[in-house]
Amino acid sequence: MIFKNRIGKFVISILLLLSLLGCTGDSSREIKKRAVELPKLSQMDPNGTLVLALGGEVSILNPILSTDTTSSAVEGTIFSGMIRFNKHLEPEPDLATHWKVSKDGKVWTFYLKKNVFWQDGHPFTAADVKFTFDSILNPKVNTVRRSNYIIDGVPIKFRVVDKYTVQAILPKPYAPFIVHAAMSIIPKHLLAGKDINRAEFNRNPIGTGPFKLADWQVGNHVIVERNENYFGKKPCLKKIIYKIIPDENARLVALEAGEIDSAGVPPKDYKRMWTIPSVNIFEYDVLLYVYLGFNLANPIFRDVTVRQAFAHATNKDQLISLVLKGLGSRADVPNAPVSWAYADDVVKYKYDLKKANALLDQAGWKLNSDGIREKNGKKLAFTIIINQGNKEREKAAIILQQQYKKIGAKVKIRVLEWSALLRIVNAPKGPKNFDAVIMGWSLGLDPDGYIIWHSSQYPRGFNFIDYKNKKVDHWLEVGRTELNRKKRKATYAKIYQEIAKDVPYIFLWYPRAVSAISKRVGGLDPNPGPAGAFLDIEDVFVIK
Amino acid sequence: MNQFKKNKFAIFGLVVLGLFIFLAVFANVISPYNPESIVESETQPPSLKHWFGTDEIGRDILSRVFYGSRISLTVGFVAVVIAIIIGIVFGALSGYFGGFLDTVLMRFVDVMLAFPSIFLILTIQIMLSPNIYNVMIVIGLTSWMGVARLVRGEFLTQKERQYVEAAHAIGASNLRIIFRHILPNAIAPIVVAATLGMAGAILTESALSFLGLGVQPPTPSWGNMLMDAQAYMRDAPWIAIFPGLFILLSVLSLYFVGEGLRQVFNPKE
Amino acid sequence: MRKFVIRRLLQLIPLLIGISLISFFVIHLAPGDPTNLFVDPSVQPEELARIRANFGLDKPVIVQYFYWLKNVLRGDFGTSYFTGKPVVLEIAERLPATLLLMVSSMLITLIITIPLGVYSAVKKGKFFDQFFTVFSFAGMAIPSFWLGLMLMLLFAVQLHWFPAVGMFSYQLKDAVWYIKALDVMHHMFLPLLTMTILSLAGMSRYQRAAMLEVLKEEYIKTARAKGLPEKVVIFKHALRNALIPTVTILGLSLSGLFSGAFIIETIFAWPGMGRLGVQAIFSRNYPLIMGVVMLSAVLIALGNLLADIGYALVDPRIRYGKK
Repeated sequence: MIFKNRIGKFVISILLLLSLLGCTGDSSREIKKRAVELPKLSQMDPNGTLVLALGGEVSILNPILSTDTTSSAVEGTIFSGMIRFNKHLEPEPDLATHWKVSKDGKVWTFYLKKNVFWQDGHPFTAADVKFTFDSILNPKVNTVRRSNYIIDGVPIKFRVVDKYTVQAILPKPYAPFIVHAAMSIIPKHLLAGKDINRAEFNRNPIGTGPFKLADWQVGNHVIVERNENYFGKKPCLKKIIYKIIPDENARLVALEAGEIDSAGVPPKDYKRMWTIPSVNIFEYDVLLYVYLGFNLANPIFRDVTVRQAFAHATNKDQLISLVLKGLGSRADVPNAPVSWAYADDVVKYKYDLKKANALLDQAGWKLNSDGIREKNGKKLAFTIIINQGNKEREKAAIILQQQYKKIGAKVKIRVLEWSALLRIVNAPKGPKNFDAVIMGWSLGLDPDGYIIWHSSQYPRGFNFIDYKNKKVDHWLEVGRTELNRKKRKATYAKIYQEIAKDVPYIFLWYPRAVSAISKRVGGLDPNPGPAGAFLDIEDVFVIK
Repeated sequence: MNQFKKNKFAIFGLVVLGLFIFLAVFANVISPYNPESIVESETQPPSLKHWFGTDEIGRDILSRVFYGSRISLTVGFVAVVIAIIIGIVFGALSGYFGGFLDTVLMRFVDVMLAFPSIFLILTIQIMLSPNIYNVMIVIGLTSWMGVARLVRGEFLTQKERQYVEAAHAIGASNLRIIFRHILPNAIAPIVVAATLGMAGAILTESALSFLGLGVQPPTPSWGNMLMDAQAYMRDAPWIAIFPGLFILLSVLSLYFVGEGLRQVFNPKE
Repeated sequence: MRKFVIRRLLQLIPLLIGISLISFFVIHLAPGDPTNLFVDPSVQPEELARIRANFGLDKPVIVQYFYWLKNVLRGDFGTSYFTGKPVVLEIAERLPATLLLMVSSMLITLIITIPLGVYSAVKKGKFFDQFFTVFSFAGMAIPSFWLGLMLMLLFAVQLHWFPAVGMFSYQLKDAVWYIKALDVMHHMFLPLLTMTILSLAGMSRYQRAAMLEVLKEEYIKTARAKGLPEKVVIFKHALRNALIPTVTILGLSLSGLFSGAFIIETIFAWPGMGRLGVQAIFSRNYPLIMGVVMLSAVLIALGNLLADIGYALVDPRIRYGKK
């Protein structure tokens, strides 16, 4: 009897524990949104510390070598470039006071600020700028940015005019260069003559930025401290601590526990985050779109009618509501609405099963007895590949599988590890071994889409779906040499129209980023641009 | 057998396992919904219509758990069969022939044992690309060493016995002696090892799922259901509780049964 | 004894070569290479080819292997592709955290396991034993990541007793050493608890089984017949012999412990070697993978050796050198 009682007690305590965990679930279904409440500047702590979380390890603190977003996030505070981009994605002077482009568009002259010092006290000059770009162009340096400075096989030349003037000489006009001119500058006096790939500098960086590295506990945290000699506006914060927390759920836990001041909010936690009184919620659009790409070398997808049918069978609203919990909007063109070049005056494919079925009938795909369409004895069956670890794309694939079942297509899903997937889509020779793929393009600050859509980028390059359209090719070539924004925008509008007509991709959605930031943090932009609420880091402060 | 019956844990284990095997075999008959279809709005708590609730995109968790038992138990079973076969071949050759062959094979076993297994599992899994068959193969390929040692031990003791000498005397081939004479005598500890190994394989599948390299969606396995659910643990704990409970119960039952069998085969204890 | 140790150490050499060969080829057979992580729409394939060549990845795998082996024999384990740091340094930064977690968990496990296993064996079939059986099997049956997250939710989110993630508080950068030590212990509690629950279960089962086995031996019966007090019988006669299998199992469980630690480090953002290794695999950081695998293998092999030596100390009847 005692035995039973004790077991009973044990069971009850387990149940209690479970219900304790259960209670925390959100019972209300409605979201009560509230305005952002920022603290006043008068409450500022002049020696405040901001604690942020990083989702991955900081690998290397050298802006010309790093390839991961976590390292760049920290580098952004330590280094500065000649120019930087504001929240509207417009270029602004940073280390340069201003710049000029010659009439023929080939010579860019940058005039640098005087009295700027590296964090070790050494003066900053044009020689540092030249050294930075020359290092990137050095084939021995393991940087992926080299091709940004090579146009049609000819490297851009950098010339020191005088101590505070530097020139970039391009082989031909190239509009996207403005973005690459914003590259962070590294110090010549510390790196000249050294093997940059392995330099000690990469662990003890010295920049010209608003903060300098104070402590780096590998795998645990990185601390940067205010650079008292910063050439720009003196930062309000004394310190920023970057804690490394790889697990997304653990980051949210840490935010709620007050261990960090900010965390990205995934759609599933969106609703619950609004119920937490200690944080402000910021929402903003990012330069990114997610798509379903068809391998146009595949006989099924060679037919544009079939692709249009699938476009009509895609219920983007369902995708957005299930995958993103509504945190996104439907996409129709290969650019994001936040970009200045965005234009969506294109054919839009409404969710219309009738039309989709009619188009497939018209293309010769007939329903057979088991509900799958057939043409010449071949079934309308294909496989969508996705990369492992991306839950959103995984869900999207499952939902699309269900949606396409309704028009008689049999979809299989294959999950591949990232490298394995790249090996397929980046295979050096066509035809590539896939039917369709769900991926996302994170867009650069420049709208140039040459690498994704130009026919020369197949099979080597990122036009891995084998898209060919002479008109698009031509406009892409024109677009990157045109320096006038208005004219450029008109060119891209034409490209988008053409691509929308051809349906090489089904554009699925634009995600909306959400950040939850502790209410003790001030100086934030309540309506941030794509770079997020911490873009102007000098203005950010915490209260006492 | 009486020994086994007296062990109420083992009986409990057997009943639970029987039930799970029933669920696995008849998953397609007893599941109320298609496990991969979106049948309801998402994250519905358990109700009469959906006993275990629905998951983050609106699939019926009950049906997914049933189909999941099919996948998870199959993964566990096949992985163990692979491990047992490799283990028997290595152990039997090593123990029966001895000498140089024994040294080489056992050194190889040492090499495999000195690997932190997770590295081997991860890299092989990446190499083969993650899918259900490869999950079975990888777990099998990395968990046979214990069986090999066990079988080798059995063979070392058995081959000195009279009946083996008798078999040699009447001119039985080595192969025949290994498989017809010695192996049946070593079967008891192998069965125990297999039971425990299957428990281990189910857990390994869930660990692989945690690292994203287990059975891949949309096919449900307990491991990948649990993995997907952990993100919703606070908002929709039922998504996580049921697959978690099924893993716990099945592994627990396998341990209990294994322990019970050990007592039966080893009545000394 | 010394001869035995030397011989075992010598045996390590072919073992390590075998491990290095297998792992080198397996990781190079996995699709992709480190430059895959560099891919973004602005990077040209030629750039990747150039970087690949800079890393020496354009040569045949067998050539790369001998190149690697040659450097290792000179003490150079290569440079991590992504940090430009020597692999040895990279591991040295992470190893202490992993060892701290593993060794503490092993010690605690032993301290708890031995009395529990003994008590359970002595009270075989009684309530305590029954309860303990269920408890320890349940401990073995829970997926580690699940247990870790549950504990984190309960102790970090609900109760705020322990920090959820990390190893140090940045605020205590300049604090005295004992404050820092306390801080690390505070951070270590949850990962340690998770790991201990997981290994506790298995170990105490073995301890109980070993004890039961010993209690049936003739000499125990003799001791009891002689009228020795039960305490003396259990602790002086039985326990000593029952410890032998525990020591061996401890050595053998090292590999599993490593694997478990890797998952737990990921959940609790513990800055250890496991997280480093798992990441290295996903990013195809070959020199780093090799470094982590080789070091773990050496540690596991040494652990087994120590277990064997411990075996000899516990049981002087066992002699080495022969057989």
